[in-house]
Amino acid sequence: MIRFAEVNKWYGAYHALRDINAEVRKGEVVVVCGPSGSGKSTLIRTVNRLEEIKSGQLLFDGHDIQSRSNSSAELNRLRSRIGFVFQSFNLFPHLSVLDNITLSPVRIRGEKRAVARQKAMALLDRVGLANKATAYPAQLSGGQQQRVAIARALAMEPPAMLFDEPTSALDPEMVGEVLAVMRGLADDGMTMMCVTHEMGFARDVADRVWFMDEGRILETATPEDFFTAPQHPRARRFLSDLRAH
Amino acid sequence: MHDFNLAVILQNPEFRAMLIAGAELTLVVAVLSWLLAMLLALVLLTVRLLPSTLAQRAVAAYVSYHRNVPTLVQLMLWYFGISNLLPQGLQDWLNDHDAEAIFAVIALGLCQAAYFSEDMRSGLRAIPPGQIEAARALGHSYVGAMRYVILPQAIRNAIPALVNHTVSLFKNSSLAMAIGVAEMTHMVREVESRSFRTFEVYTVATVFYLVFSLLLMGAGALLARQYRAAAAR
Amino acid sequence: MLDIAHILRDNWLLLLIGQYPYGPLGGIAATLILSVLGISLAFPLSVALALARLSPWAWLRWPVTGLVYGLRGVPLLLIILWTYFLLPVLIGQTVSGFTTMICTLVVYEACYLSEVVRAGIQALPKGQSEAARSLGHGYVRSLRYVILPQALYNMLPSMLSQFITTIQDTTLGYVINVQELTFAANQINNQLLTQPFQVFFILAVTYFVVCFTLTSLAHLLERRVARRRLGGVAALAPEIVDGVVMPAIRSEVP
Repeated sequence: MIRFAEVNKWYGAYHALRDINAEVRKGEVVVVCGPSGSGKSTLIRTVNRLEEIKSGQLLFDGHDIQSRSNSSAELNRLRSRIGFVFQSFNLFPHLSVLDNITLSPVRIRGEKRAVARQKAMALLDRVGLANKATAYPAQLSGGQQQRVAIARALAMEPPAMLFDEPTSALDPEMVGEVLAVMRGLADDGMTMMCVTHEMGFARDVADRVWFMDEGRILETATPEDFFTAPQHPRARRFLSDLRAH
Repeated sequence: MHDFNLAVILQNPEFRAMLIAGAELTLVVAVLSWLLAMLLALVLLTVRLLPSTLAQRAVAAYVSYHRNVPTLVQLMLWYFGISNLLPQGLQDWLNDHDAEAIFAVIALGLCQAAYFSEDMRSGLRAIPPGQIEAARALGHSYVGAMRYVILPQAIRNAIPALVNHTVSLFKNSSLAMAIGVAEMTHMVREVESRSFRTFEVYTVATVFYLVFSLLLMGAGALLARQYRAAAAR
Repeated sequence: MLDIAHILRDNWLLLLIGQYPYGPLGGIAATLILSVLGISLAFPLSVALALARLSPWAWLRWPVTGLVYGLRGVPLLLIILWTYFLLPVLIGQTVSGFTTMICTLVVYEACYLSEVVRAGIQALPKGQSEAARSLGHGYVRSLRYVILPQALYNMLPSMLSQFITTIQDTTLGYVINVQELTFAANQINNQLLTQPFQVFFILAVTYFVVCFTLTSLAHLLERRVARRRLGGVAALAPEIVDGVVMPAIRSEVP
């Protein structure tokens, strides 16, 4: 579903992504972890072209999303098929929760408003916030906002979802509610790529873990293999640092 | 101090007519220049968003000029200076059709357009970059993102500043008296010189300006409150 | 262009210092004196007004708030006319236009400046006054040594902006025949009669140069204040738009 082939990116002289070769298969849940500055966020943002790559190929569902020859309509269409959840939620503050969710299906996919509303209520129910449909983002807690953000992304019925550190900006007691929603998505067979520090989630839900450092994917393994017997020395150091505190 | 007697002013038909005429002209000038300013501000904003450095510099120069030169001087430059450069036919036409008021509207409108466009621009810049990213990530085009996500927020952000500058515009209409526009402040001096009731006349004018300024500020506060629920994250 | 050079050559003294010594000091000199006097006398008054608005006593807060809001709702021109009329009545002797302008400017600018000061004080983290009081400083002491120095330093750029506004406000003296720069330019125009555009162009450019320089200075100050304070305790100084505190939104055009 998502394939990286020899992907490289530079910020000026800084080599942010080095020779990335990897694939997220359909229905797979991949967790990307690593120390800060390793390029994890940059990597996931290249998938829907919030960041551009300098060389290599990035295929989403067979389409080259990073190709410069894509028309803007093409790019928008591809983006609408990839759900993206941000660390800072980025809900639209001037719209109610319901409008946040229905805006894109109505305006981009041309869904009838009544139909979109129904689907939105079902999604809100799924994330446990049906009673907040008419509230505004400012009135919600961080965890609630992030769950709405997930519902907003799901409203476009994407075949794949990307999560960029979805719980890093949350107070500890709200992390669980968001992870629960993500777990539910994974159980339903969604193709997911998550950048996260939540190792418990990785261990329980991920099909594979990618460890990144300094722009490279240094190790890919199943969670059991990765957490019990990491191969790469830097992966070992990362895990021991995590356990230390 | 002599006795305070508003009736002398308000019940005298001549004085009343003069003051009402002044009030009307103040409001007309204010409204027309506000409309001109808003329209021009939108144009300036659009030009500013163009990817050309020349466009940016042109708008910056326009704003800089209008913010650094006193409004009274701008009025004088238009009415005494620029009018003199116009072809004679146009000058004659203007003199027959309230040239003073026309130039006042132009000068005030152009001046406030600079402030309004900066307010709108600040409103735009106050929006976190994550907003446009989220909109694009959902698949909205640039135009769609602007229309549904960015511009609604920009306007809401800009309302307090826009309201304040609207009140300024209203007050600046009084400067037009220096180029002979028979607005409220001008009429106040006329009535004063005829009635010698300085205190009363000034009071009437003060009440006039205060009422409208407070109305404007109140409307602004209402607008801001209505959008506050949708405001900051 | 040549006309402008000629006008400047013939009238530069008038523009600079007015008709002095054959008349009162005028021109740019008068403008600057009015502005500097106006803002410096307004400053202590503005601090007093700001403290009054922040005081816990309603009998002090409400009248001052009323005054500040009231003056903001009336055009400066009308206030100048009021002062021109009231001052002789109050002190029993005629008052020159110059004095009228100074008095008006002091009160008017103080009202706007007090909003700046008030915003500066309120932008400081509460912890500052709490720390000062915990150490045992009284209300006045903590104001004098802890709160005001920080607040005023943070608001320096905004205060400089208000000074620039004051310079622009001095032009209104023209209406009551105060012999400042705008008055001088009108004198020249009334003599020449044939080149109004050139005369007023010079006037506009002069103000532009003065105000633009000061605005650029204010921007420099702003960056310096932000840099110095970023590691310290001050919050981001809020912007003042026409005397009203705005959320942290800023224009970069000088």
